[in-house]
Amino acid sequence: MSFSLATPATPDEAFEFLAQDPEATAILAGGTDLLLDLEEGLVRPRTVVSLRRLPWREIRWNGPRLTIGSLAPLADLEADAGLRRRLPSLAKAIHAVGSLALRHRATLGGNLGRASPASDLIPLLLVLDARLSLVRRGDRRELRLDEFIVGSRRTALAAGELIESVTIPAPLPSEYLWQRVRLANDISQVGVAVARGTTTSAWRIALGGVTPRSVRLPSAEKLLGPGLPAPLAMELAAQEAAQRAPFTTDKRATEAYRRRLVYVLVKRAVAAVAASADALPETPSPSRTAKKSVPAKARSTSAR
Amino acid sequence: MTDREFACTVNGTKVARRDVPDDERLLDTLRWRLGRKGTKEGCRTGDCGACTVLVGGRPTLACLTLSHEVAGESVVTVEGLHDDPVGRRVQEAFERESALQCGYCTPGFLVALTGAIKSHPHGAGERALLEAIGGNLCRCTGYVAIRRAVASLGTSRP
Ligand SMILES: Cc1cc2nc3c(=O)[nH]c(=O)nc-3n(C[C@H](O)[C@H](O)[C@H](O)COP(=O)(O)OP(=O)(O)OC[C@H]3O[C@@H](n4cnc5c(N)ncnc54)[C@H](O)[C@@H]3O)c2cc1C
Ligand code: FES
Ligand code: FES
Repeated sequence: MSFSLATPATPDEAFEFLAQDPEATAILAGGTDLLLDLEEGLVRPRTVVSLRRLPWREIRWNGPRLTIGSLAPLADLEADAGLRRRLPSLAKAIHAVGSLALRHRATLGGNLGRASPASDLIPLLLVLDARLSLVRRGDRRELRLDEFIVGSRRTALAAGELIESVTIPAPLPSEYLWQRVRLANDISQVGVAVARGTTTSAWRIALGGVTPRSVRLPSAEKLLGPGLPAPLAMELAAQEAAQRAPFTTDKRATEAYRRRLVYVLVKRAVAAVAASADALPETPSPSRTAKKSVPAKARSTSAR
Repeated sequence: MTDREFACTVNGTKVARRDVPDDERLLDTLRWRLGRKGTKEGCRTGDCGACTVLVGGRPTLACLTLSHEVAGESVVTVEGLHDDPVGRRVQEAFERESALQCGYCTPGFLVALTGAIKSHPHGAGERALLEAIGGNLCRCTGYVAIRRAVASLGTSRP
């Protein structure tokens, strides 16, 4: 493994480096994924372009819209008081990634750029309807996360393009639950994200760790109906989720265990979101804002 | 590879040299070029925490960090902890509670705990400290003594 490192000071300089030898250039953010690949010889770039000096680190709220710079270290995000208060599910999912020392370097852009099937952030960002702002020299486009992730470790990022930021249109009532053997530095066997739209009231469920590409489960979502679901609806939706998704068996878990986990975690996550739905500050309905807030009890299988 | 300068401070001392290849990791530069062998290599894959150092005060895995990525930063390794009152307090807690056996993992634990205490200006409780060492593995102690050492630090102020 021998490469030269480029450390552009501006996005324009970065685009220049990326354009020089696109086939043999790798992008480095926190490096927690890329350095493993370099060590194992899975990628053999001639040039590694470090994004360390680029700005793209801010956390910005614009009304209900949240924009997060792609280079924000995950540890900064989970420590951000506004994010913890307004979108606790995301702070919690971020907290699940690796260990604190890892999260001091690992970035949000790197997690999405990696597009791992076991990412703890992709399922939640899917149900939150996240958009990516992609930039290229003289060009900018926005892609929905489900358009961006095209397969296991495959994205729609074009040559010479960088992720600038990630935008979440509104902080929906949501929950992320996961199961793994070891709390820190382990990969989730299953991750379950659930959100409930405030205007459409439609439920959204996405799974991580079970399929090459994290997906939503429309058939299970529909069973939850438009409003707050009855216990029977939650039971049926959880069963549907556990049956519907195609599951893999690998060294981390068998297919049967994964199905069981999906059933249990979907039920818990839906119940937690249902309990918190009234409490969310972003619901602009005056008749509801007077209600006393009932914080959702955190019921992760990982007792943190 | 280029002859770019590797310039930062390590344990308060300015380091500037031109023999650090672009693809070298901080772990290797510290151990093999600068002779700071307190920082250990356990896995080289981010799993064990033995290579934890402070970069700009933040616990960082030196095995997953390219050396040139810390240009201009202040790096503190386990060798630098005795110059720091917090670092000394953590070391003493490990000694008092016999929180080590072979000692291979100890530098990582000491550095991670020191970084955690210093980053909580209002005091880090036991929970925050245990959280900070969640990514550190020890093959020997069974963690009981390490937990005792952490508990003995109480609510720690920097
Ligand atoms: C020990 C260990 C434990 C882990 N545990 C977890 C876990 O529990 N959950 C989890 O989800 N992940 C986990 N990971 C994976 C990894 O830490 C995360 O995916 C992390 O967020 C990657 O971010 P990074 O900045 O380090 O990525 P990098 O390695 O810097 O980048 C990865 C790839 O993303 C692309 N990229 C990065 N930034 C951009 C950008 N701005 N624009 C365009 N492309 C970009 C590049 O192609 C790059 O090659 C773990 C990794 C390790 C080593
Ligand atoms: S050697 Fe760096 S984490 Fe194990
Ligand atoms: S004391 Fe031996 S590995 Fe921890």
